[in-house]
Amino acid sequence: MIDPIQRSSRPRLLSDQREDELRARLASRDERALAELVEVLSPWLLGIAQSMLQDPDEAEEVVLETFRIAWDRVPAPDEGPRGLIPWILQIARNRSVDRLRSRRRRLRLVERLTPVEESVAAAVEPDEAAHPGWHVHASVHHALSELPEEQRRVVRLAYFEGHTHSEIAARLEIPLGTAKTRLRLGLDRLRASLAPLKDWVL
Amino acid sequence: MKAHDWFIEHRTDYAARALESDDEGLFRDHLARCAECRAAIAELERDLAWLPMGVAPVPVRPWFTRSVVERILQSRWRRRWVWPAVAAAAVVVAVGIWQRDQTRIAALVQELGARDAQLAATRDTLVAALGTDRVLQTSIELNGKRGGMLILADEATHRWKVVVHGIPAAREGERYTFWFITADGMVRGAEVICDELRPAVLMLDMPPGARFVKGGSLTIEPKTGDLSVPRGRELAHLEL
Repeated sequence: MIDPIQRSSRPRLLSDQREDELRARLASRDERALAELVEVLSPWLLGIAQSMLQDPDEAEEVVLETFRIAWDRVPAPDEGPRGLIPWILQIARNRSVDRLRSRRRRLRLVERLTPVEESVAAAVEPDEAAHPGWHVHASVHHALSELPEEQRRVVRLAYFEGHTHSEIAARLEIPLGTAKTRLRLGLDRLRASLAPLKDWVL
Repeated sequence: MKAHDWFIEHRTDYAARALESDDEGLFRDHLARCAECRAAIAELERDLAWLPMGVAPVPVRPWFTRSVVERILQSRWRRRWVWPAVAAAAVVVAVGIWQRDQTRIAALVQELGARDAQLAATRDTLVAALGTDRVLQTSIELNGKRGGMLILADEATHRWKVVVHGIPAAREGERYTFWFITADGMVRGAEVICDELRPAVLMLDMPPGARFVKGGSLTIEPKTGDLSVPRGRELAHLEL
């Protein structure tokens, strides 16, 4: 299998220059820039929110909230952290985790999530590969597939389903300490694997 | 184990949001105070920035992206117009209240001024009446009418209240004049405008620079000519 991260000739979603330009346009309230951003990112944000919430309507609400926050708070190119898209992805993930926890607290809902492997490990199909950002997904997917199975399961439960240590331990019927250790080992490995992606800016 | 070690150990868990709610709150509070942990978390988040992209994209419904953009911009327009409108309305109301208050304040100031004047006059009258040390009185016969002149002297304030009553109005080309009788001669006090129906009342300070005031005199003077010395007929003469 070809490691997608190593394919240096693979086009980026947005060049550094394009990202700066887009951030500047968003910061100056350019509505077309917002439309471009929503067009490119909606499928990804919807994927994140839906995999965590397992509710298409609620996932769409999260996407709307995320773009609204991004539109209201987008930092200018010379301010804030680099990486406009990772920043927005993080907002979507955090909003999803917040909703998930609120829902769990409020309803004490029995877990009804389907195994995340289905969404995370979706196979690359030719038409999907043409989707903007697909190469990033393929890289992350590859990095995840490199993890030992027990670490991958814990990372997926924590990172893609928003579970806490104790919830993971209960779900997998393993000691709490083991759940913590597996998560840290898995994330440490991912940090190393995804390091080349750090400089990919959108 | 030091307290800070716990935060170092759980940095990854915080970045992954795998901490229990209480611990997450504790960690967030710690981050506000600890630059080292803030930097470490920022580094972790940078390293894992693309990890959410591990989830496959979901095809969006037709019109979804357009709907998102429209809803965001609508709320923006709503906010853009609502707040200035609210601010403008608040300014109009504030200006209205301010104007109403200013009008009311002006009316109150005017009323207060009138009451002050009334109070001062009343006080003068009371002081003159209650503080009177000496009362001088004489009758006046004029053109078949009988009147009189009364002097209420307040020696504490050196003010005189002079009352002339019962004599007819001065004829054309004439006027009644009250004079102070001093050690240096007669010093003009004031014109007295008489009316048979009601008494003329004057409140007079002692003439400036005059030595020992001995009494008062009422004369009929011609309207023209030197007003500084009495030239006309004396109607009343009172001495202390």
